[in-house]
Amino acid sequence: MKTPFRTILPTLVVLVLLATVPWLSPTNRILSLAITAGINIVALYGLSVLFGQTGILSMGHAALMGAGAYAATILARDLGVGFWLAIPLSALVAAAIATIVGFPSLRVGGHHFVILTFAFGQLLTIILTNGGDFTGRATGLDLQAPLTLFGMDLSPLPRFYLLVLGFVALSAVASWAIVHSRYGRTLRAIRENEKLAASLGIDVGRHKIGAFVVSGLFAGVSGVLLTYFLRHISPTQFSSFPSIYLALMVMIGGARLLLGPLAGGILVAFLPEMFNLDPVESRILYGVCLIAVILLLPNGLIAGLLDGWKRLFGRRPASSPAAASRSSVSGG
Amino acid sequence: MEIFIQQILNGLSIASVITLIAVGVTLIFGLTGIINFAHGEFLMVGSIVTWLAVSNGWGFPLALCAAVVVVAVMGFALERGLFRFTLDLPTNGFIVSLGLIVVLQHIVILFWNANQKSIPHPLTKVWEVGGVRIAAVRAMVIIVTALVVTLTFFVITRSRYGRALRASVEDRDTAALMGIPVRRYITGVFVFGSALAGLGGALLIALFPITPFTGGTIVMKGFAVALIGGLGNLTGAVAAGLILGIVEGFSAGYGLSQWTDAYSFALMILVLLIRPQGLFGGTSGPRIT
Repeated sequence: MKTPFRTILPTLVVLVLLATVPWLSPTNRILSLAITAGINIVALYGLSVLFGQTGILSMGHAALMGAGAYAATILARDLGVGFWLAIPLSALVAAAIATIVGFPSLRVGGHHFVILTFAFGQLLTIILTNGGDFTGRATGLDLQAPLTLFGMDLSPLPRFYLLVLGFVALSAVASWAIVHSRYGRTLRAIRENEKLAASLGIDVGRHKIGAFVVSGLFAGVSGVLLTYFLRHISPTQFSSFPSIYLALMVMIGGARLLLGPLAGGILVAFLPEMFNLDPVESRILYGVCLIAVILLLPNGLIAGLLDGWKRLFGRRPASSPAAASRSSVSGG
Repeated sequence: MEIFIQQILNGLSIASVITLIAVGVTLIFGLTGIINFAHGEFLMVGSIVTWLAVSNGWGFPLALCAAVVVVAVMGFALERGLFRFTLDLPTNGFIVSLGLIVVLQHIVILFWNANQKSIPHPLTKVWEVGGVRIAAVRAMVIIVTALVVTLTFFVITRSRYGRALRASVEDRDTAALMGIPVRRYITGVFVFGSALAGLGGALLIALFPITPFTGGTIVMKGFAVALIGGLGNLTGAVAAGLILGIVEGFSAGYGLSQWTDAYSFALMILVLLIRPQGLFGGTSGPRIT
């Protein structure tokens, strides 16, 4: 039982270090960036279960975030449901939509699924735009609900940051628990060899949908956090292109390691700030980084760094570096 | 009845552009297994080249040729420089194409901003036949597409090269043993598909103003059409393109224009649920399991 705990330790250390940030008197801009990064990371942990463990790539994940965000906003507006109840309810809504989206994956595999999720993302944007007053049309919806915990107002940036960090920690632990469970092993078996897994009596289709639904839960929570942070949501925030950026973040960080989503989310949020780039330049940089990572370090940046570290300082050479770098992010 | 025919004609012109994209997507996927999501950005670059050329006083036919050549050269460079390295890992190639979307879009924005761009209609004549108005520019787009697609079809089904190409799709290794330069064919098909995207871009901007984000919607429709017809199936792509064009035309004509972009996706999801291999049956690609 020692080894599984060692895998989550670095992540927890990083999270504890990040929790000290509000006491370093950061500027509001840094805090806002950190909050956005954290909200994305919650969704990225879901994506890492889907992509890193099961080998399925979703291009419609922002749409699932949107489902969570719209559900929370509409619940607050029409039923007066607050943040803490909206979290589980909206996560369930996102998971329900993931089930609907995931169903075609039973029939079509691999690339078709990617294209389908992409199309679902576009479709949802169109539906939200045409939903009349219920979804606020193209202008979107405002959120007026307060955000409190035991009577304490959580909306000031430093407090909201800690709240988001709490959710990041929760999702990291949840994703770790999934990876080290029997369920996680089943998912990996599907990733490595679908036919073999099926011949062992694993219901491949059901587990694929399952993984997608689980990642939908994460995305839903992330969507609720987003709407409570921005206080205004609109359809374009959840179209296909934000989904591409999510996929890009998880890929840059590396989908299989627990530190990967954390690294990807933080890097993508802060890289432009560090190099003083405008949004257009920074997006070009993201794209170039993604292509470079895929071609040079197919397992993501963190895995690549760890590999290099092992090769330079390891007592014995890494088992088979060539095979490790070839094993790639393929699958689906 | 006039409105009926009018809507079919209007729908067909935009469907032509989508069919060009779908044919490119289907050809590239059929031989190489590359799902190039950046194909829409290739089209957008074609539009931008046309716009630049026309704004600099070139005539439209010359601008169209420039768009085809520039995008074909770009396709060549990207195939040799990027996609070549991902041939054994199609998922990686797909992710590379996603990165490419972001890069191409924002390079265009960096140099020529994100605003709408348009050129004056290259043909302004409008014929009127029994109450149906036919804009010459729309007719041109339909005719050019029909010619190019027919030509492609004949080359692939009738010529020696086409036969070698189909052999490579069937079984790449055996084809290579028979002396077919499969690697060169892959590059060739990728470049040809890119040229079609360039042509589509030039035709699109002749019809509508475009933005640097136009490629995203068009490529999704292109993929939808390719999947509805059956990925890798040329006839299927053309037929599905026609179906979509007619559906979209009706929708716009009968006051449902805000849903226009939804039909292709809804149709695709429906078709894949009922017939995963597409309406007309397709390959599942050379190495996709």
